[in-house]
Amino acid sequence: METFSFAEKFNCFVGKNGAGKTNVLDAIYYLCMCKSYISGIDKNVVRQGQPGFRLEASFDVDEKEMQVVAKVRVRKKKVFECNREAYKRLALHIGRFPVVMIAPDDTSLAREGSEERRRFINNTLSQLDPIYLNQLIIYNRALNQRNAALKQFAEDGSFNLSLMEALNRQLLEPAAYIYQKRKEWMGQLEVLLKENYAFISNKQEAVSCRYESKLSQANFEDLLLQNLDKDRYLQRTTAGIHKDDLVFYIGDKPLKRFASQGQLKTFVLALKLAQYHLLQKNKDQFPLLLLDDIFDKLDASRVAQLLDLLSEERFGQVFLTDTHEERMKAMAEKIQHHFSIFKIENGQLKNEM
Amino acid sequence: MNFPSKLIEDAVTAFSQLPGVGKKTALRLVLHMLQEPVEISEQFADAIVDMRKKIKFCAHCHNVSDDTICSICSGSGRDKTTVCVVESIRDIMAIENTNQYKGLYHVLGGVISPIEGVSPKDLNIDTFIQRIPKEGIKEIIMALSPTIEGDTTIFYLSRQLKDQDVKITTLARGISFGGELEYADEMTLGRSIMTRRLYDNDINKSQG
Ligand SMILES: [Zn+2]
Repeated sequence: METFSFAEKFNCFVGKNGAGKTNVLDAIYYLCMCKSYISGIDKNVVRQGQPGFRLEASFDVDEKEMQVVAKVRVRKKKVFECNREAYKRLALHIGRFPVVMIAPDDTSLAREGSEERRRFINNTLSQLDPIYLNQLIIYNRALNQRNAALKQFAEDGSFNLSLMEALNRQLLEPAAYIYQKRKEWMGQLEVLLKENYAFISNKQEAVSCRYESKLSQANFEDLLLQNLDKDRYLQRTTAGIHKDDLVFYIGDKPLKRFASQGQLKTFVLALKLAQYHLLQKNKDQFPLLLLDDIFDKLDASRVAQLLDLLSEERFGQVFLTDTHEERMKAMAEKIQHHFSIFKIENGQLKNEM
Repeated sequence: MNFPSKLIEDAVTAFSQLPGVGKKTALRLVLHMLQEPVEISEQFADAIVDMRKKIKFCAHCHNVSDDTICSICSGSGRDKTTVCVVESIRDIMAIENTNQYKGLYHVLGGVISPIEGVSPKDLNIDTFIQRIPKEGIKEIIMALSPTIEGDTTIFYLSRQLKDQDVKITTLARGISFGGELEYADEMTLGRSIMTRRLYDNDINKSQG
């Protein structure tokens, strides 16, 4: 068991690759989001041969101290407690302590398929709006029921229109809510994205993001009926908010195809900072900012520039990992802020500087 | 687990088939039976075999019954124009305990859930639809779980009944987030039956 006592502003975990630095960030993330950033499946984050794990944290929000405990056991229902009281539903905890993780593989947000971007949208909105997460859970359950029925029909060579209509109906209410909230919040996110990109790229080119959903063009119930033949053939639901996307542009061209590596990296950094500010503004609370190994390929002046930015008052507590112990020591001396450095070796806290 | 006797092992296996009973608990129950006189075991086994072999399901409502028609369907003093649709026999017992409801029942045997392979044809839906005109039913109370599956089933049934002149009501309940049929106590359940409201299957209206 390791215990950390964190500085108010900067907390840096230094150590070799594989020493377990990211695990510490992931533990913080877990305590906020009830799941791991690295793997959504609990079994994958439990140490091999161990029955589970336990995390404890003490949060200070508005001078009030809150004790959060996560008890995770393989194949058992996980328990989250706040001030010794267990949550009835984990969804009630998510968003209470907002968090943003910035990691080297963030560029997959721009490079990969739409699923990554929907996960990003859901992560953001779940923290902003507890009802959103509930509606999403209901939607996914109803979607699984509909898909199971489509499969069943194909297997039996049967069809039941009344049942289809009954299953369609379950999707409508949660879909309408999710669509509305995505439209609202993604509009706000775009404004912040533009600001952040302009700032970190020194106003090089304009960027934008557009929320795309089939629900913007047609009534969802009609869409489900229009696509029924296709859905029956493919045995899954082809239209709905589970197909939404967030499309990124650089200038007026799609980012995915036209951005350089550098532009891509700057873009996703700006996007994550926009997420940070969206949460911060609307929750009236600084999210915890977790930066995993993002200094790796940056030169000293860029690192200093980024830390300067994060030193500003519009950012709260920051946790970061780096392989360069000396570099961080030098930064700590330069920056006029509380700055703690923790040395991690073989998954253990070696010493605190 | 190693057993000194094959007979003990078989009995433990039998007990541990029950839901919520693990091998350890099963062993404890078996050793308990062993300490009691043999008559206790005989009565125990007979009660289960008799129950399983002789029980009937009511031809009208699918409730458990000792005869072809159950005591509720054949009982006097029941309002035979009102039917309460439930998932299981346990729900009938819960509602009967409230002493607030005097109508009839219909046991569906579950709710529609394609994920679990339960489609309308697996439930007692046909017999239900036939009952309504045959018995001159005027009101149907849908007392199903406040889940996606319960909701799907209510909508499906209401569709099957759309050409029949019958009032459909649902239990009064708060906003549900996919929980189980949760009745705090008999009073709450009784109250939610008494304050039932008209079912409105038009989504646009219910969203307003
Ligand atoms: Zn009966």
